[in-house]
Amino acid sequence: MLEPVMFTGGVYKHDLVIELVEDLGGYVLQKNVTQSEVILLLLVPSEDMSALESLIKELRGELVRAPLAGTEVAVVTPTLAIHHLPHTACDIAEYLRRNGAKSNMMGLARGVGREIAQINEYETALINEHDAAVFIFGNFAECIRRKESLYRGINVPVVVTGGPEIPKEDLPYAFEYVPSIGRVAHRARKATEICTLDNIVDAVGRALDKTRNDISKDPLTTSPPRVMDAVREQVPEVEYSYSPLPIALNLNGVRVKLPYEGYKDAVAAVTFDEGVKLGEIATIKPSRMKDYILVRILPASETGFVF
Amino acid sequence: MDPLEVFKIEVTGQEEFGAKKYRELIMDILQDLGLIRSIGRLYVYIDIMQPVFAVYGLLRSGIPPLTVKDVGDVLEVEGGYQIKINDEEHMADLLKVLWAQYGRERVEQPSRDIVVIASDTSPAGLTVADLEAEFLQDLTDALLRVAPEGFRNRRNEMTKDSFFFIAAEETLKPELIARIKQKIGEMENA
Repeated sequence: MLEPVMFTGGVYKHDLVIELVEDLGGYVLQKNVTQSEVILLLLVPSEDMSALESLIKELRGELVRAPLAGTEVAVVTPTLAIHHLPHTACDIAEYLRRNGAKSNMMGLARGVGREIAQINEYETALINEHDAAVFIFGNFAECIRRKESLYRGINVPVVVTGGPEIPKEDLPYAFEYVPSIGRVAHRARKATEICTLDNIVDAVGRALDKTRNDISKDPLTTSPPRVMDAVREQVPEVEYSYSPLPIALNLNGVRVKLPYEGYKDAVAAVTFDEGVKLGEIATIKPSRMKDYILVRILPASETGFVF
Repeated sequence: MDPLEVFKIEVTGQEEFGAKKYRELIMDILQDLGLIRSIGRLYVYIDIMQPVFAVYGLLRSGIPPLTVKDVGDVLEVEGGYQIKINDEEHMADLLKVLWAQYGRERVEQPSRDIVVIASDTSPAGLTVADLEAEFLQDLTDALLRVAPEGFRNRRNEMTKDSFFFIAAEETLKPELIARIKQKIGEMENA
């Protein structure tokens, strides 16, 4: 069982951490160097956690659990106007990021209003590429109920946030509803506001657990971190991508941030130690996000094996 | 405590939370834009079933226009007048006004906070900026920020001492405006 954790520490000797994680059979999901500090998102086998902990203690670093690591969460607001940004949306996105998720902020083109709110096919498809979505709504219960049409067509679990208390039965299409974070014009700084952000992270965690549970009933042919590692090794161009996270992990695949037309064959030809090619165990299609490559690993029921 | 004399907010339906939050939101935005001291009374009416959003406010006494003697000390010197600037915020406006009045060749700025004018008429009474116009502009900006974003049909009536702002999703019909004005009148007299 791989445990998602986040390491924060000095740049000096941080490569020892990377080496140890690789030796233990874990994965480095993301590496962020900010001047003299480095933040690593790691997947480490839970039985070897003590070895990593003792090394990090020696390096005077910090190791915390990052329950959302290896997932991508969409933070959706009705638009990108001053009414919704920066406070609520940025606070939520940043908080998800601190818990290890890769959060993408999205503003809908015509998501505003009570009667006129709408979402188009492209936006729905883009949100569906994520593992979960957080929809940020306002302070009026009636509007939140009416805006259900925005997320009715979305296949991934949707956590809805808003101001007032609304019984769960009123929002049947939402995975969960988190109250007391409606439209505000200041940053979240009070204890109650931070607590609400924690509630959102918990709700997203539960949503992802549900997806993990669904996947475990028909397991994927191989795990997404393994695909990430193989692609990174065999398509070296990906390291030259300008994106801060050249390969983004999802629960059921990866997104490779290289132009689709130029690299789809190279990605499909990635070969694992068992002799299987990625193109045989996954669908490789263009992502709705820019011109990226979307890799979706097929379940065991389709390929007939797991490795 | 509210710095406003009167601040009433009325929301139809079971939306007590929304009313409370909009109160905080309006205070936050007015404070951000530094408008709170210029508004005396504020009445907000929100009908979420319509849906319509309206604000009616009474302004505190008018702000006098900013003159040259408000931004600096005017001294008579040999061959003209000298202005020693105390408030640099309106420097650009001041220079523009002086150039327009006296011509560029007669306005000289030997150092950052000194302007010398070669003329025998004093610039002390010239208007540098119309603060009231700036205030009304900021107020309109605040109202647009406060109103829910989807309410794209807006109407803003401003007079010397009051303003009435209404925004809705549907077309603003005269009957609707009259009804909302009546509601706000009731709030005022309650």
